[in-house]
Order: sequence, then C-alpha cells, then structure tokens
Amino acid sequence: MNKFFYPKLALVNLKKNGNTYIPYILTCIGSIMAFYTMVSIHSNKGLDQMPGSINLKMILFLGIIVIGIFAVIFLFYTNSFLIKRRKKELGLYSILGLEKKHIARVLFYETIFVTVISLSLGLIGGILIGKLLFLLLLNVVHFKSPLSFHIDYWGLLITTGVFLAIFGLTLLTNFLQVKLSNPIDLLKGGQHGEKEPKSSWIVTLIGIVSLGTGYGIALSVETPLEALLLFFVAVVFVIIGTYALFISGSITLLKQLKKNKKFYYQSRNFISVSGMIYRMKQNAVGLANICILSTMVLVTLSTTVSLYIGQEGMRRDFYPLDVSIVGEAANTDFAAVKAIVESEKDKLKVRSNNEISFDLAHFRAFQESNHFLKDMVADESTDAMYYERISNITLIPLDDYNRLTSGSKSLAENEVLIFSVGDNYGEPTIVFGDEQYLITEQLESIPMDFKKTQDMGHTYYLIVKDAGVMDGIYQTMRNDDDPVTTLHALMFNLDGDEDTLNTFSANMRAAVLQNNPDINIQNLYEALTELYFFFGGFLFLGVFLGSLFMMATVLIIYFKQISEGYEDSERFEIMQKVGMDKTEVKKTIGKQILMVFFLPLAGAIVHVAFAFPVITKMLAAFRLTNITLIFLCTLVGVVVYALVYTGVYLLTARSYYKMIH
Amino acid sequence: MRLLEVKNLKKIYTTRFGGNQVQALSNVSFSVEQGEYVAIMGESGSGKTTLLNILASLDKPTSGEVFLDGKNIVTIKDSEISAFRRDNLGFVFQDFNLLDTFSIQDNIFLPLVLAQKNYQEMNSRLQSLSGRLEIEEILQKFPYEVSGGQKQRAAVARALITKPKLVLADEPTGALDSKAAMNLLKIFAAINHLGQTILMVTHSVAAASHANRVLFIKDGEIYNQIYRGSMSNDDMYQKISFTLSVLASGGEDLE
Repeated sequence: MNKFFYPKLALVNLKKNGNTYIPYILTCIGSIMAFYTMVSIHSNKGLDQMPGSINLKMILFLGIIVIGIFAVIFLFYTNSFLIKRRKKELGLYSILGLEKKHIARVLFYETIFVTVISLSLGLIGGILIGKLLFLLLLNVVHFKSPLSFHIDYWGLLITTGVFLAIFGLTLLTNFLQVKLSNPIDLLKGGQHGEKEPKSSWIVTLIGIVSLGTGYGIALSVETPLEALLLFFVAVVFVIIGTYALFISGSITLLKQLKKNKKFYYQSRNFISVSGMIYRMKQNAVGLANICILSTMVLVTLSTTVSLYIGQEGMRRDFYPLDVSIVGEAANTDFAAVKAIVESEKDKLKVRSNNEISFDLAHFRAFQESNHFLKDMVADESTDAMYYERISNITLIPLDDYNRLTSGSKSLAENEVLIFSVGDNYGEPTIVFGDEQYLITEQLESIPMDFKKTQDMGHTYYLIVKDAGVMDGIYQTMRNDDDPVTTLHALMFNLDGDEDTLNTFSANMRAAVLQNNPDINIQNLYEALTELYFFFGGFLFLGVFLGSLFMMATVLIIYFKQISEGYEDSERFEIMQKVGMDKTEVKKTIGKQILMVFFLPLAGAIVHVAFAFPVITKMLAAFRLTNITLIFLCTLVGVVVYALVYTGVYLLTARSYYKMIH
Repeated sequence: MRLLEVKNLKKIYTTRFGGNQVQALSNVSFSVEQGEYVAIMGESGSGKTTLLNILASLDKPTSGEVFLDGKNIVTIKDSEISAFRRDNLGFVFQDFNLLDTFSIQDNIFLPLVLAQKNYQEMNSRLQSLSGRLEIEEILQKFPYEVSGGQKQRAAVARALITKPKLVLADEPTGALDSKAAMNLLKIFAAINHLGQTILMVTHSVAAASHANRVLFIKDGEIYNQIYRGSMSNDDMYQKISFTLSVLASGGEDLE
C-alpha cells in the first residue's frame, strides 16, 4: 500500500467533516492563542520593573491556570462530540476491511494534522495578538513607558508542551473508543435506541436544596467580609444545584407533566413534552455548562468593569485626604517635617489645601456590645463573626478637635464624642478596660474622615477630654507591637497635574524619610499606581476570560445545533407522514429548540440576579460602594451578552434548518 | 360503492435544471371498491412508489385525477392536506416510522392527539384494537425495546385508530422475518374482513397472495390484474408467480 495512504485518508476525512472539524480547530487555535498570550505576558521581563507588578503577575498567573484547566475540559468535550458523530464512518471503514490498527493509524494522522495546524496558527496568532494585548494591558494599568515585547521562546515551549499533552490524551481516548467497540456498534453509532431517561427525585431534591442554599447565602450576606468568605461557598452550591436541576429536575418536571393525561394529550403539549424529555436528556450537561459559563462571563465582566470604572471613587475611601504623615508625637519633630514638605512643594510649585494636624492614638479592639477588649489573635475559629467584631479606634483630644472645627465643645473626664464611619454606634456608653465613658454626642462629620456606606470592620473616632485621658485609654488598650506613645498626624490635599504630583510624592517621601526613618507616609498618588495595576490587571483578565468563555459558549451552541439537526430531520419526516403540517412541525420543533437554547441564558440571568447582592457587598470590600454603577455595569453586561447569545443562536439556527430540509 | 377512483394519472419527474425528464407514471386508471383488499405489484422502478405517494397526497400528479369517496384529492389546498390525510388515510410503512421519543401507546395515539380527540375516546379506541393486534403487553414500552413484528403491529394500530377510509401500506412485510410477515398478513386479512379497505404496494408474492385483487404495474402503466374469485391463497400464489414471470420476460400475449 502507498505509504501516503493513511495521511491522505486522514486529510480527506478532515475535509469531509469540515462543518464540525473547522470549528474544533478554531477552538484549539483560540485556546492556544489565549494560553500563549497569558504565559508570555506573565513572563515578560519588563513587567518586573514596574511598581506593583507582583499583584498583576499573580492575577496573570491565575489566568494561566484557569485557561489551562479550561482548555483541557473544553477540548475533551468537543473531541468526544466529534468522535461520537463519526462512529458510523469508522464502522464503515472496518466493514470495508480496515483493521482496528489501521483505523487507529488514520485517527493518529488526523490528530497530527489538527495538532500541527492549530499549534502553528495558534502560536503565530498568539505572538501577533499577544503584542496587541500587551499594549492594551499597559494602557489599562496606566503605564506609560514603552516596553518591548519579544517572542517568548520559553512560553512557546510551555504552550507547545501543554497542548501536545492535551492532544495526545484526546487521541488516546479515541483509540480506546475504537478498541472497545465492534464494527456493528460503530455502524449503528449514535442511534442505538434512545433509552427513556430516568429521573430521580433525590437528585432533583438535592438540586433544589443546594440551589436554594446558594441563593439563600447570597441573599443573607450582610457585610463585605461575609461576602468574601461565603461567595465561593455559594458558588459551589449554585453550580451543584444547576447541574442537578438541568440533569434531573427538568426531566422530573416533564414527566410529571406527562402523567397529567388531560394536559399531555393535547396536540401542542404532546409533542413538545416528549420531545423536550429527550432533548433535555441529551443536552442537560451541555446546557448546564453553558449556563455556568454564561454566569461566569457575566459576573467576571460586570465586577471587573465596575471595579475599573469605580476606582476613582474607591481611592477616596482609602484616602480621605491625599497625603497623611503620621509619626510618634514624642520622637518626631513635626515642625522640621513640615519644613521639608514645604520646601519640596516649592521646588515643584505644588500647592496644598485643607491642611490639618492633630494628636491621636490608634488601636484595634475587639467589640462586644459596648465593651472593647484588646485585639485578640485569630485562632482556628476565624469565622466571619470574628472579623465582624474587630474595630479600628482613633482617639483625638478635644482641643485639637475644637481647633480644627473652630468649635467650642466641652467634655468631662468620663465623657466622649463619637464619630462612626459606618452605621451609627448604637450604645449610650463605651467601656475600655474598667473605665466607662458616657457618649454625649454622635458626630455627623469629622475633618479627617467621612461617612461611608460600607465600612469594612468598624471604624470609630472618639474625641476625649485631653491628652491625659487619651494616653490613659491608649495604654490600657494598646497591643504589644503598637508604638509606646501616642501619635501626631499631618494631613493635606494636593493640587496640580498628575505627573507633577507623582514626582512630588516620590521626592517628598525620600526627603522626609531621610531624617525620620520611622515615620509613616500614606499618599494617594503613590497608591494610585498600585490600584491601577491591581484593577487594570483584573479588568484585563476579566475581559480576556470573558471572551474565552464566550467563545466556548458559542461553540457549544453550534455543536448542539448540529447534533440536534441530524436527529430532528428523521423525526420531522415521520411526523409529516403521520399527518402533521409542515409548518406545524417546524413551529413545534422551532419552539423546542428555542426553549433548549434560551434556558441556560435565563438560568444565567437568574443566577446573576441572585448573585448581585453578594457582588455589591464583595466590591464594598474593595471600597467600591457605588451600587448604581455596579448595577449599570451588570445590566449593560447582561444586555450585551444576551444580544451576542441571540446572534449566535440565529446564525447557528440557519445551519440547523438547512439540515432538517 | 366506489371508494377510490384513479383516472389517467400521469407523473413526470424533471431533473432540477430541466434537463432529463423521467416518466414515472404514463397513464394509470383503476378503481377500488369499498371493503376491497388490493395489492399493487411491480418491479423496482415500475412506478409503484410514485403511485402510492400520489394516493397518499404526499405528491401531486402531473395530470390526472384521484377521487377518494368522491372528493378529488389532487385539488385539495395545501393547508388542508394534512388534516385530510389524518382523517381519511391510514399508513403502514416498510420501516415502521415510529417515533423513538414516544412509547408504543403514544405513537398509536399520535394521529388522534393531532386531531384533538379527548383521552377517554383515544383510550377506548385503543382498547378495541390492542387485543386484535396482540399489542397489549407492549403498550408502555418504547419502539427500541420491541421486535420488528411488534413495531409493525403498533404501526398498524396507529393507522387504524383514526378509522380511516383507506389504509395504504407500503411494503409492510419488507423488514419482517417470514413468521412475523405471515402474522401481519393474517391481521390485514382479518381487518379487511371487518370491512376495512386496504391498498398495499408490495414486492412479495406471499403478501400479495392474501389480497382480493392484484394489480400489476409496469413502466408506469397498469399491465394486468388478477381477481381472487374463489381461489385459495395457494392458487393465488401460483397465479401471481406466473404473471410475474411473464411480466419479467416481457410477454405480450397474456389475456
């Protein structure tokens, strides 16, 4: 036999099965491009030189892992779909006299072709797109200096290795399929009698309970900390619930409908119900996949976009004033510090405003109603409640408060004023150690901070009679690693263009720290760079993964449409012969298909709706409290996604209708 | 009473781009009386299937007329044709054409459900059929769980449950083993005995030998017909075989 026989046959096969293999190869190319791009950006040397790149690199690494896992699952899924479709063809070969080892050889060559095509195109595409995406990433993280982007040989190697392994494994499973079957089975392929699906009340019940639990958690979460801790628990419950309900719940429901004879034996319901039972059986897992993927796309996109857009607002939450310089009152010469700041300001012609300075003491305490205890070390029982009860307390002497507010309040020894950043402090008194203090007023505002809708932990400012009282409370409550004496703070806002302020911030830090190494400087403009890296990285990853998941969804829908089409064409004919109108048949089938394909989208939207409260709480942990913004981002995300989904459906529906005619 | 009357039926297939013309039926006329059991025989390509498709209103003739119970089915509007087929005709196919998504019972109910009959009515009709067709045991099963003979009996039940004026059978024994085929033919004879008119297209001499009358079709024309008269099945078999061999040898001198 001609030694090119098998490669030729393999090539012909791929061409003949083009309508399924071309999308498959496109998926492979897409996954390879995505993987390589992530790897090459992650290992880019230039990234190391940027400030705050550690967070970004961590996010990118997470991306690599997710894409890797995703590629394995998804390529296996599509491969098994393809080989199922082709069983008849393979059976025919073996009847025509090809032995199993010959068929295996054909499959081997096919895999080789697929691998070579997808790897070469994928890597080339990855190199080209990678450069583009890298520039995009630099843009979203607001990094201006141009960085070179080279071909990453190490990345090429890793990507090739990973995908060779995946392709190898799919080939192995195909070998196994051929080996375990005989020609007759292969010939009959997909069509050996469709068993009526079994429905299990238990699985359905598990589905309802876990979906309910997931939703319940989502709705009952009250604080950002709970949200962060419980979000993934809820996600797991919802995923289990989704699969269980798609697989078993749908069929249980349909079977109940079938038992209702009056309902079932109506011409409209009769065909829909029994048709849906079979469609759900064959598609349940695929549809559940689409549902979960869609939910992931929506959640990822809406959170990352909200974070990115909302970071302007968030940074204000972190930094009520642009710059704060805090040092131990006893050991720092604040007049000198101020002089240094002024001279740096003069050098760059930067102006400041809202300048305030005051004494303070700061400590963390553990709140039990009105009793505040020394901060306890977290033990293994670090449940949400523990974090819930930690509070941040800042003490300020009345003199400083009166001076800053131009007020003339007065306090007795055991009296305090309180300002709470979050919800109002509800108790009439406050107890530190053995001393009880009477709260004479709940302040509505304070010069050094402002009210926030979401307060991570409880932040309280207490105005006390004088420095003596302040020091007394501080010495009682302070932890071993806190400074020994009370502090002094200098805070102000800056005016000027961003570049100048960045330079000023760096210069000022260096100059101040030179003489006062222990001083603590917090600067909005320094933090900005880091925030951009953090949220820009998130946005980048979100959009990247979002598009990848979207691609997967599109492909699953396409494959589903095709396989439905093959099977429906037969049914379509029989129904016509038995006396059903052509248009009637088309309408019924069209309706079923519509239901099947829009069920996952509906499911995803419901999931997102229930997830919304958790998402807002979770974003509040990042100080994003603008619920309207989050809602708008989510809404736009849902609408855009639904449009894309519908578009894909309409496109693939065309190939479906071609098949049934 | 004349149930079916076919007059000067002609069907010409034109290939898609108008090139070749194939004449499937050149001039076919015959009639079927109420309560008759007629078999149509002929070789592959003789036009049997085309004829049956036209009778089943699945296809339209190029010219000619078909009257069922006095109504010309050639001129029925497309929108009414499905309902007409459902109400007046019963079909039995070679490959059963049962839907694998329905149980046997639901397959049998299908035409009635489409005609929007209520469940009690459907059930009582099925009761009276299932005994005769020996399918009580398998009603709740699915098509892939039962044998070919059982599938075909279910298909017969589906054809009969609408109480059609005419049952059209296309090679009903084609996919059955000889025992199941014989069983099915007995059932056909029995339902014919009860007054059901049957028109069957077949290759099988054994199948045709159960009919009251056999029409032979060749090159798109009725070539000959045999009436049973008082003949037994065996005599019928002999006569059909003889006719077929004459037909095959191209004999001109018959009758």
